[in-house]
Parts: sequence; C-alpha cells; structure tokens
Amino acid sequence: MPEPALELRDVSKYYGDFCAVNHLSLSVPAGCIYGFLGPNGAGKTTTLRMILDILRPTSGSLRILGADSALSVRSRIGYLPEEKGLYKKMKAWSIIAYFAGLKGLPRATAKRRAFELLERYGLRDFAETPTEALSKGMGQKVQVLASIAHDPELVVFDEPFSGLDPVNQGVLEEIVTDLRARGRTVLFSTHVMQHAERLCDRLVIIARGTRLFDGTVAEARRLLPHAVRLETDDDPAPLRSLAGIRSLSSEGGGRWRAELDEGTDPQSVLRACFDRSIRLKSFDASEPNLHDVFLKLVGPAAREATLR
Amino acid sequence: MKYIWLVGWRELAENARTKGFWIGILLFPVIITISVAVPVLLATKGVPTRHYVLIDQSGQFAPTIRAGMARNGSGRIDNARLEEIRRHTDDPVLAQVITNAAAAAPKAAWLEVPLPPGISSNLSPTALEAELRPWLRGDRFLPPSQASPKPKLFAAVIIPDHFGSTNSPAHPIRYWSVNQADTDLRDAIRRIVEEELHQRAYRSLGLDPDVLSRIANERAPLIDLNPSKAEGEERVGMADRLRQWLPSGFVYLLWIAIFMVSQMLLNSVIEEKSNRIIEVLLSSVTPSELMLGKLLGVMLTGAVIMVAWFASLIGVAFLQIVFSGAASAGAAASGLHSIPADILGLLRSTWLLPAFAVYFVLGYIAYATIFLTIGSLCNTLKDAQNLMGPIMLVLMVPLFLMPFIPRDPNGPIAQIASWIPLYTPFVMMNRIAASPPVFDVVGTGVVLVGFDVLVLWGCGRVFRTAILRTGQPPRIIELLRWIRDR
Repeated sequence: MPEPALELRDVSKYYGDFCAVNHLSLSVPAGCIYGFLGPNGAGKTTTLRMILDILRPTSGSLRILGADSALSVRSRIGYLPEEKGLYKKMKAWSIIAYFAGLKGLPRATAKRRAFELLERYGLRDFAETPTEALSKGMGQKVQVLASIAHDPELVVFDEPFSGLDPVNQGVLEEIVTDLRARGRTVLFSTHVMQHAERLCDRLVIIARGTRLFDGTVAEARRLLPHAVRLETDDDPAPLRSLAGIRSLSSEGGGRWRAELDEGTDPQSVLRACFDRSIRLKSFDASEPNLHDVFLKLVGPAAREATLR
Repeated sequence: MKYIWLVGWRELAENARTKGFWIGILLFPVIITISVAVPVLLATKGVPTRHYVLIDQSGQFAPTIRAGMARNGSGRIDNARLEEIRRHTDDPVLAQVITNAAAAAPKAAWLEVPLPPGISSNLSPTALEAELRPWLRGDRFLPPSQASPKPKLFAAVIIPDHFGSTNSPAHPIRYWSVNQADTDLRDAIRRIVEEELHQRAYRSLGLDPDVLSRIANERAPLIDLNPSKAEGEERVGMADRLRQWLPSGFVYLLWIAIFMVSQMLLNSVIEEKSNRIIEVLLSSVTPSELMLGKLLGVMLTGAVIMVAWFASLIGVAFLQIVFSGAASAGAAASGLHSIPADILGLLRSTWLLPAFAVYFVLGYIAYATIFLTIGSLCNTLKDAQNLMGPIMLVLMVPLFLMPFIPRDPNGPIAQIASWIPLYTPFVMMNRIAASPPVFDVVGTGVVLVGFDVLVLWGCGRVFRTAILRTGQPPRIIELLRWIRDR
C-alpha cells in the first residue's frame, strides 16, 4: 500500500486550557479528494494549520508527503486559508507569480504559469488588474490559482467555496477535479455538504476537536437507517404495523418520515399506502444524504458550539 | 536565504510602487531647494509693499526719517548698516555674504504715501487717528500707487507736537497698525529717530557726532584658532564650523530615515495581518524568514531613499558650484570657500558618510524590528498607534540631546547616551566629527550589535506567536511568556 499523502497520529492542540483538537488521527490517501467536515469551531482550521506547520501540535505527530514538517516539503504543498486576503496593490498575475516563487518556482516560470492559469480559468482580462479592483469572487479565484500555481502534490483548501457564486463554485469544483485527474491529493474543509458529497472520495467529520466519522461518502450514508418521506392529509398510523418499518414520525404539516429496517424495499411502503387507502401527496424514497448524516452526527455539538 | 530575499524583494518592489516612497525620495531635495530659494524669494517678491503715512506734528523729524528710510532703500535690508559692518569686518566669508546680499536688491518693502484725501495733517492726534481708522482697518483703500492698484494703509506713524522738545514719555511716537507682528517699519523709524536724538544730544554737549559714531563702531578683531589642526592652518574657518555642525544635520536625517522606513514596515505587517495574507505566507516561509525578509526589503527601500537624498544633496551642492562658477573661482583664488564646496570637501575627507551607513543599518535593525513586532501584535493601525505612543516618547530623547552634544561631544551627557543602544546611532553620529575615543566608537558599536541580535531574537519569538493572533494586543506578561516558551 502506498504511503498516504498525509497522516495524523493522535494529534491534540490546546490553547491554554481549551482543547481545540482532541487526539485526532486520520490518513489521507495519495491522489484522492478528501473532505474535512465539521461545524463552526470544530477545530478544522486549527488542524489544517497544524498540517501546514503554521501551528505546532501540543501532542501527537504527523507525516506529510513523507516528511515530519510541512515546511521541509513546502514547495510540494499548496494552501488556501479560510480567511482570504491579497496584497491590494499587486496585480493578479504578479501575486500568483509571487506565491509560486515562494514555493520555489523560478521567476520566469512563475510568471508564465500565472498567465496560463488566469487564461485557463477565465481571468486573462484581469491579469494586469490590481487585486483591490477585483470583485470578491475574482479575488478568491486568484488566491486559489496562487495556491496551485507551483503544481503541488498536496493541496489544502480551507473553506474554498465560501463567498463564491454558483458559477464560480462550479469553476472551483472543476479546479479540484482537474487536480485529482492529474494525480494530486486535495484536502478541503467545508460545511457545505453538497460539495463534499459531489467531490469527496473520502471524508472525515469532526466536532469539538474529536473525530466522529472517517470513510467514504457511501459509508457515511450507511450510518443512517434508510427512510422514506411521505406527505398526506390522511392518518398514516396503519403503516406502523407493517413489517420492515422501524418507526414513523411526524415532521409536521402532514409530512411523515418512516425509518426502514435493513433490506426493506421502499416500494412495499408505497404499496401498503395504496392498500390502506392512504392518499399520498408526495413520496420520497431517495437515499439519506450527507446533510442528514452530518446533522445526525454533529447536530448537538454544533448547537452547543453556536450557543457557547 | 532564498526565501528571505524573495520576501524582501517583493517588499522593495511594492514600496517602490507607492506614492509614499516617491514622496520620501523627492521630499528632501525639494526641502533643500525650498530652504535655499524661499528666503531669497521672500526677500524679493514674497512680502507686498507696505504703505504708511508719516505725520510729524513736531515738524522736526520727518526729513531725517525720510532720508533714513531712503538710505535703507528697501527698509528690509539696512544697506547702510550692512556696508558699515562690511567695512569693519575682517572675516572674508562674512564680507562675501554681505556683498551678495547687497547685490540682490529687493523691491521696496515700504512706501510712504500722503494722507488719504480729505484728511488734514493739522488735526489733533486724536481726531487724526479717528479719521485714519477706516483706512488702517482696511475698510477703505488708498488711491492706486505704482506698487499696488488698491493699496491698504499698513501703518500710521504720528509724531506729536511736543515730541523731542521735552523728550518726555508723556508724548510718545504713536504707531498705528493692525499688524503687530511685522515690526520692521516700527523698528526702522524708531532707530532713525533715536539716532537723531543721540546726535542732538552729542551736539548740545559740543561733541562731534561723526567721531562718536566711529568710536561706537570700533570692533575688537578676533580670530578663532584650533590647536588640533595642522601647524600653520590652525585658523578656524567655515569648513571647521560645518564639520562641527554637519553631523547634527546627519542625525536629523538618520532619525527621519529610520522612522520613515520603520513606519513603512509597521504598515506592511498590519496590512498582511489584517488582510489575512499572513497565513498563506506562513505556509511557504517560516516566521523568521518572513520577518528577516521584510526587514531586509524595507531596509533596501530605505537605502534607496538615502542614496537618493545624498545624491541630491551632493548634486545641489555641485550645481551651485557650477552655476556660481566664476564667483567661486574668484573666491577660491582669493582663499575663499563656498559652503557647498565645503560640504563636498567634508563628505570626501571625513567618515560621515560611512558612519551614516553603518548607523543607519544598525539603528534600523533595532527600531524596525521593534516596530515590526508591534505591527504583528496589532490588527489595526489604531491599535498600533496606542502601543507606539510611549515608544515614540523614548525615541524623542536623541532629538532633545542634539543641541547639547556638538558643544561638548565627548562630555558626560554624550558619553552616557552613547552607551544606551537605542540612542547609540544618533549620539555617535553626532559625535563622530569630534574624534571620539576609539574605545567609545568600538565599544558602543559592539553593544549596539549585541542589542540588535537580542532584539531580533526576542522579537522573533514574539512575532511568530503574535502574527497569527487576532483580537486584543496581549499584555506584557503574555509577551514575556512568548519570549520564554519554546
């Protein structure tokens, strides 16, 4: 088995008495898109900063691209922080070239790469524009390009989608999948589940510094029992007696959620409704999504974090 | 080292694109030019001709005053008096200055005008003054004169009937003007009247006023000699005075330079911190590389500005020599030196420039590192200004010391201040022309280098913790912990 691109072993980080990350272990296989999910204040940014050796863990160890510190392999890593900023007076191309230069690219190559990337992702006309004159979304795109201009093996994006309109979110997804297509590893944090669901090969969910789940999207979905949602003005109580229905609960407004036992065919529920003259307004038997999984796993923690 | 250089180069390139940088570069030559040109301009054009009326009700002084004011010509440069000084001085430099001043004849600063139409000079002083008020206040204007199409009455000088006869304080000259700041006219007239009173007194005692005037103008000839100069050349000239005072000018330059560029550094750190660029930077470079790179880049920026300043100083001096070529050639032949030539000579023959470079670098490292660290502690310029208040007070001390040090460059104040590392660059720069003991030069230098290393080390530790921190600046106790902890 090839060495993972990134591995965290029992990493903890304390700020004084406050525990931001609690004995976190994870392993990011090379060449995959890895999602890092968690509610606000879960410790995502702290973990990413430790991965990049901007912060030192209080305890535990990590290996990144075969090294003990990101700084010794910094030219092979790209990073987009959560809070995005650019030098206001610098031109788009020169800021990309500068960050690429800091990652070891020779000046001329860095400049060429900057123009190539701007061209490829639709910003060629703004290459000579000072970043302060760019829209927020464009600035963010420039920053994404700056983080990948040196063609890194591992890219770490912290909340890359926040602040982007749907079109640019699409462009960013394209950038991420392009990277994977070229065998690069992408680690990104987000709390927008749709992106994670669409993009990630694997994901980890953390809350309050602790890992709650680590695996593929399919594995995550299996955490929740299969359920169907139905909407009716009639009383669906007779369904409770049906074999394979674990529970039936009202979601209000005539909407009900029936959790099914493993292996139960949702069609049998539909048939039972017809048999029992329960008139349906809608019937939804689609698989549970990551959003549901996330809410189930981190719901209480997230609420606490918000109230804290 | 490569990363330090990359960070530094960006800093320099970005600074070179700012207005502040170019203002910094151009400000100094502009100031030099202005400080040379403005007094000349003011003397010739700046101040408008002042119109005044003279009413001599005693009938004794008006002709003397008119003659005196005419002799003064402009009234601003008392040519007669200057000529008298020139005749009696044996300082060739002063003589040359006076000749030049007299040659640049400015336009009349004072113009006596007749009383405004309809006012009689025979009125009582009180009535006369009441009549003149609207003109003096600027409510009414005089008839057009050659100097101005709509002249204001600047002043009215009224010499009362009994003035002079009793010379009693009960009948003073009455000088009316809304402008009580410009007293040149008042003083000139008073001087002329006083001289006339003296002459009358001499005559009444049977003394010859001309003889007395010659006696009064007798001056004791004196030359300054300095035993530390080569034998036969001990006489102290302009160059020697410059040698003593030029370092003070350099201290001001050093101070301005260090604080200008340290301020740039502070702003740039706060920009990176508040824009959150810092995090991307820190994924590429270590905090130490970032700090040293920024220090280097801004130092180079400062160095470029300094080179521009000195080039312009030398350039202005050189141009002045070239443009006044004939005069200087004559002056040089007669053993005279011009000030620009003296400055150039001093810069060539002394350690001023190398010392400036060394103290700029060493002083910069100490101050800029402190400013950089303050920047790393703050999220906004406002936070930074609060922290900088007390530090700026400490930094003002060398400026306060500056007038004292050239008077006693190796005295106790200078000695003690030299050994305080934060003041060493300024004080030693100030002392450097007075041949301070080698022990002082080397010793304070070593202490300063040691201090720089200490500041870099301590501030480096604070910087790397502070730079990612948000929220309120930390308390002193926290800072100490950051320095102590690994």
